[in-house]
Amino acid sequence: MMKKRTFIGLGVVVIFWSSFSWSGLFEHKVDYNAEVKPILNKHCMGCHGGVKKAGDVSFLFEHEMLEPGKSGKIPVVRGDAHASEMIRRILTDDPDEKMPKNGNPLSKDEIDILTKWIDQGASWETHWSYKRIEKPEVPSLRTFSNLFGLLDQDVRNWPKNEIDHFTLKKLREKDLSPSPEADKATLLRRVSLDLTGLPPTEKEVSDFTHDNSANAYEKVVDRLLKSSSFGERWTSMWLDLARYADTKGYEKDSGRRIWRYRDYVVRSFNADKPFDVFTIEQLAGDLLPKKNGMPSDENLIATGFHRNTMNNDEGGTSDEEFRVAAQIDRVNTTWEVWQGTTFACIQCHSHPYDPISHDEYYKYMAYFNNTRDEDVPNDSPTLRFYKGNDSLKVQRLIDWVAKRDPQQTENFTQFMRVMEPRINSHDFQIIGGATLLDGKYLGLKHKTSGRLPGANLTGMTQMVVSLGASIDKSVLTIRKDTSDKKNFIARIAVPNTQGKDTVMIIPIPHAGGKQDLFFSLESSKTPDDWVRIKWLSFQKEIPGKTEPEYPAVVAEFSRLLTKSAEDIPVLWEGKGDFSRKTHVFVRGNWMVKGAEVKPDVPKLLYAMPKDYARDRLGLAKWIVNRENALTGRVIVNRFWEQLFGRGIVETVEDFGSQGSEPSHRELLDWLAVEFMEKDQWRVKKLLKRIVMSATYRQSSKTDDDKLEKDPYNVWISRGPRVRLSAEQVRDQALAASGLLSKKMYGPGVMPAQPDKIWQSPYSGEKWVLSEGEDQYRRGLYTYWKRTSPYPSMVTFDAPSREFCQSRRILTNTPLQALVTLNDPVYLQAAEQLAANMQKRGHTPQQQLTEGYRMLTYKSIEPKNLTVLMKVYQEALNAYKTKPAQVDSILPYGKERSPELAALTVSANVMLNLDNVITKE
Amino acid sequence: MENLLKELQYAKLEHQTRRHFLQSCGFGLGALGLGSLMGSCSASSTEPNASDKSVQSGIPQFAPKAKRVIYIHMAGAPSQLELFDYKPELLKYHGKDCPAEFLEGKKFAFIQGVPKMLGPQGAFKQHGQSGAWISDYLPHLQKVADEISFFKAVHTDQFNHAPAQLLMHTGSPRLGRPSLGAWTVYGLGSENQNLPGFMVLASGGRQPDAGKSVYGSGFLPSVYQGVQCRTGGDPVLYVSDPSGMNRNMRKTTIEAINQINQQTYEDVKDPEILTRISQYEMAFRMQMSVPEVMDVSKEPQFILDMYGVKPGDGTFAMNCLLARKLVENDVRFVQLFDWGWDGHGTSEQDNVEGGLRKKCEATDKPIAALIQDLKMRGLLEDTLVIWGAEFGRTPMQENRNGLVMPYMGRDHHLEAFTMWMAGGGVKKGVTHGETDELGYYGVKGRVHVHDIQATILHLMGFDHEKFTYPFQGRNFRLTDTEGKVVKEVLA
Repeated sequence: MMKKRTFIGLGVVVIFWSSFSWSGLFEHKVDYNAEVKPILNKHCMGCHGGVKKAGDVSFLFEHEMLEPGKSGKIPVVRGDAHASEMIRRILTDDPDEKMPKNGNPLSKDEIDILTKWIDQGASWETHWSYKRIEKPEVPSLRTFSNLFGLLDQDVRNWPKNEIDHFTLKKLREKDLSPSPEADKATLLRRVSLDLTGLPPTEKEVSDFTHDNSANAYEKVVDRLLKSSSFGERWTSMWLDLARYADTKGYEKDSGRRIWRYRDYVVRSFNADKPFDVFTIEQLAGDLLPKKNGMPSDENLIATGFHRNTMNNDEGGTSDEEFRVAAQIDRVNTTWEVWQGTTFACIQCHSHPYDPISHDEYYKYMAYFNNTRDEDVPNDSPTLRFYKGNDSLKVQRLIDWVAKRDPQQTENFTQFMRVMEPRINSHDFQIIGGATLLDGKYLGLKHKTSGRLPGANLTGMTQMVVSLGASIDKSVLTIRKDTSDKKNFIARIAVPNTQGKDTVMIIPIPHAGGKQDLFFSLESSKTPDDWVRIKWLSFQKEIPGKTEPEYPAVVAEFSRLLTKSAEDIPVLWEGKGDFSRKTHVFVRGNWMVKGAEVKPDVPKLLYAMPKDYARDRLGLAKWIVNRENALTGRVIVNRFWEQLFGRGIVETVEDFGSQGSEPSHRELLDWLAVEFMEKDQWRVKKLLKRIVMSATYRQSSKTDDDKLEKDPYNVWISRGPRVRLSAEQVRDQALAASGLLSKKMYGPGVMPAQPDKIWQSPYSGEKWVLSEGEDQYRRGLYTYWKRTSPYPSMVTFDAPSREFCQSRRILTNTPLQALVTLNDPVYLQAAEQLAANMQKRGHTPQQQLTEGYRMLTYKSIEPKNLTVLMKVYQEALNAYKTKPAQVDSILPYGKERSPELAALTVSANVMLNLDNVITKE
Repeated sequence: MENLLKELQYAKLEHQTRRHFLQSCGFGLGALGLGSLMGSCSASSTEPNASDKSVQSGIPQFAPKAKRVIYIHMAGAPSQLELFDYKPELLKYHGKDCPAEFLEGKKFAFIQGVPKMLGPQGAFKQHGQSGAWISDYLPHLQKVADEISFFKAVHTDQFNHAPAQLLMHTGSPRLGRPSLGAWTVYGLGSENQNLPGFMVLASGGRQPDAGKSVYGSGFLPSVYQGVQCRTGGDPVLYVSDPSGMNRNMRKTTIEAINQINQQTYEDVKDPEILTRISQYEMAFRMQMSVPEVMDVSKEPQFILDMYGVKPGDGTFAMNCLLARKLVENDVRFVQLFDWGWDGHGTSEQDNVEGGLRKKCEATDKPIAALIQDLKMRGLLEDTLVIWGAEFGRTPMQENRNGLVMPYMGRDHHLEAFTMWMAGGGVKKGVTHGETDELGYYGVKGRVHVHDIQATILHLMGFDHEKFTYPFQGRNFRLTDTEGKVVKEVLA
């Protein structure tokens, strides 16, 4: 143990000395961010901030506080508190004028600070997190040993890397000492769980404990960083941010096949893809350089990040309303994930506390607003994967086009892969008896028509349309402008497709320009039924019309588009007619549009570089530019939080003036600069730097002194001690018992779950128990249904993933105990663990000791062994008296004996121990 | 502030747990209420101490009239025009085209073009001293009319089930906000040491459209979410011991877990371990008390008859009886959902004639019984019973896809619908609000969903404008930025 010596006394002296200096020797300069801003936020900004500007007075932006309010008086007159209306209104006794109007009066200290601040010139300062990240000096041990007296030898030798210099400095300031390194087994379990989400194997523990080389720990860290489980562990974190789920959300909450995005994240973490590249791919992968007319599949799949927004398939809902809701979610999520800033409030008004104005929200939204997804039930646009022969056939079609009209190849290839650009039929105006079936798709029946406004037919000679009909002999006629016969464009004999959607290719004459098109239907049969049009697309016809194979080529084109293919929702930018204008929504209401805005970033942060495109790709590059003051800090803090259970900024989601102050601001900045500059955004290097530190390696044991001085371990005078995450609780039980499947990737799996958990109105989707090892996959792969996530995961604080969630607030509830006590998943693990224990020893003492070792890698204390023996004996006696119970408690394996049953009960106890479900 | 809260809660918890261990009383005598385990902001069954008082000051509160709530939600939305809002004029317009003024600028879920008006299908009379209008769909409720106060002109902003249910229960049509029950338990804690403070019972074969979020905890800690009691299998997930393990053995195992955890605590001093120890005790007690409270076999026959239930039938009627048992055991908030009220006229079940009558037959008697039963036990005084849905139904007949529906049906209606409350702090026999002669708009006493919520919170002793929780840099409240307490119905 390290000794505290006499530092306490010295600390008192320092405090005394420094307060002395504040009060007199030097004039104390009021710190705007630390002292003034909190007072303004607490007392003033509610009425004089981003939400309200009562009396035309606001303290949100610097210029505002210096401008006269409605009364003509100036709130803040620099250098003269007595002339400042703010101070007068705070001090006055007139109840009509006294500020704050309905709140508690300011304290004397608060008034003093404000007065002094104004007298000193009312200097305005940008909030720390919005200033460029500069690399701070690493505190040298010598500097603070001078301040605090000589460091004792243990402490001087404690630091392992720069991180420790920063933390030790804080510990000294707080009169705390670091803890010694955790024992090897504990440390290995901690670092294994942290880096791979899985506990170590017994062999790994034994190798490490017997490795006495100086770099034994580093070897372990390197091995863990290379493990394929590494990517799986960090993907769990990322999926909460990406609000990844296997269903679409809202009322219907039907399935969505977007698991390829999850696999992309696993692969990216495993490949140590630089975080800036990882960011750009997810936000703008569709805009990255193309090869053969297409961005790479990997880059497109990455854009699944923002296709994890919910989709409302309920009948009668407005697609536009929910398209807009998805856009808003993308803006809010991007800000929360990369900028650690709550942007949601700016949707309705300027930020209440931080200087971001209302219209800046919509300027930012303009970057996202051009994507082709429009909340239609088929989740389009999707990237289609043609399998087997079909992929050859697609290539043949592309080759056909390329050979005859190379200029057409790119558009043609893109249409084959993502079926864009196309017009969704909710764009039709419903006139002449047509309808929107289910509020989603155009429906036409005998003698009815719908109108498509402003279709651009310039250069278009073919219409690709998705139709579904269950009646015979209906004819769809398309005319320009009116229902006049002269303006005829096409007449289509609609086949009876038995209601199935079928893609038809219809030649159309050169019409030119933007046209309003009328679609009308005639059918001979009664009773008449609706013909459904889901989407259509005007294109240049496939070249080679005169060649004999042409009809076959067109037929193949139609067949391949009709056939369902595996696919994944992606972002796809709309261009030309398909680009959108973005308007401010007045008070956040999407129906009330204000001024049009162009894409831009808030002035709070550095300006968009001139050479960046004004699109999502430009935005993504701006986010990961070295000049962005937030990204580096926010991302480094997220990883830190995952390891220590608490961020350097505790509010990982809010770095604004309402968020928590960083506990180690210099360390955060130093880590951020190292991450961006030295590590070139490589996450593995960042994580290695952190886990190699002495700070991380400390024992998590604590004592009354530490608890009293630092109950939440803000200053890290001990190692992290945090309950395992929902996924880890499950994965560990499966791993320790040998049930865990190592299989990676693929569609979500359905492990055992009680009946009647899934009750989705309208959708017939069911939880079907997966087969074989798929029941024992890592929690990461469990099918995630937003309205009904896997129950034991929710109990252990996993979110529903409807929205981005930065932190899982850990709870400690009786429902968690019920899961690990009684959920069959944990009972099976207990039985399997018991079977393994039985093989390890002859006596129950030996078996229990082994079981404890398998879970904790430690020898059991005699006291605790006695406790376990008591459980074992009682259970054994009970099962011997009632052998029928043996079969009930052992439903999984082949062996049935009272001894195994008693061991299973004991294993059930061990799987519930605090030190087992906690990372120590 | 957040830290201070945590610190005080922790201090209290540790104090209690230590004391508990000093007493070494084993099981069943735990000094901890769930409220304190959940770190609720006010003291519950445990004696107040200094930390409680300072924490309490965080939530503005006055003496509550209602200590418990039973909230009955008819998911799908029954027709107020068949049940409570008597509109003889509407009968005269039956079959006529809907006036243009009702359609201009309006959006409906399914109605298209110009629909026809649909006259009331029920026979109405006034009932009780108060003269409340209740139709022949609800013969039993008629008898307790004088206990009830009606809101006849409630309006909402959402015309689809899921968002409208979310608005009703969380104050926002989007997901992610805490529900009324979660707010309540967060604010008041729980008075029962063996049961969760917020319990949910669903009937009608399906969950509410908006899923678990309608009783979720949103950004409040997850301990405040509603715990759903299921009608089949375990009443609470995993509450049953595995087969082959009896109670004694479970007791032994939990004692062992806690003993070893106590050792770990002595060694590493992590206070979270103390919480875990008390949560395992709570789990053990819940294993007893949940099945116990869910078991109606000991109820006398006349009570079963009064509600119209057979043990184990999993019906809405059973849930009403269970709701009474739960509040009797001091569960703070009981939420009932019944599915299948979406009377569009599309099928034999979903209409406002026979289909609605059937749903009423299954629910009318137990609801009336619940009110009488609570009254009989002296619980109605401080138990608030709320009845309502996510919206109402149109005075027009639905014409989905421009077709004539096979049954009489109505579309979702936002402008005016009926809710009622009875018990804790509510006047008896008042009718607040009135709709126009066709039942389309509220013309007097219009109240928004947020006003209903403000009123409920008021009855529970909260100022809805000051009852907030800081999240993502903003103070959130149930009523968002709106809501006025409907003073006219306060007793």
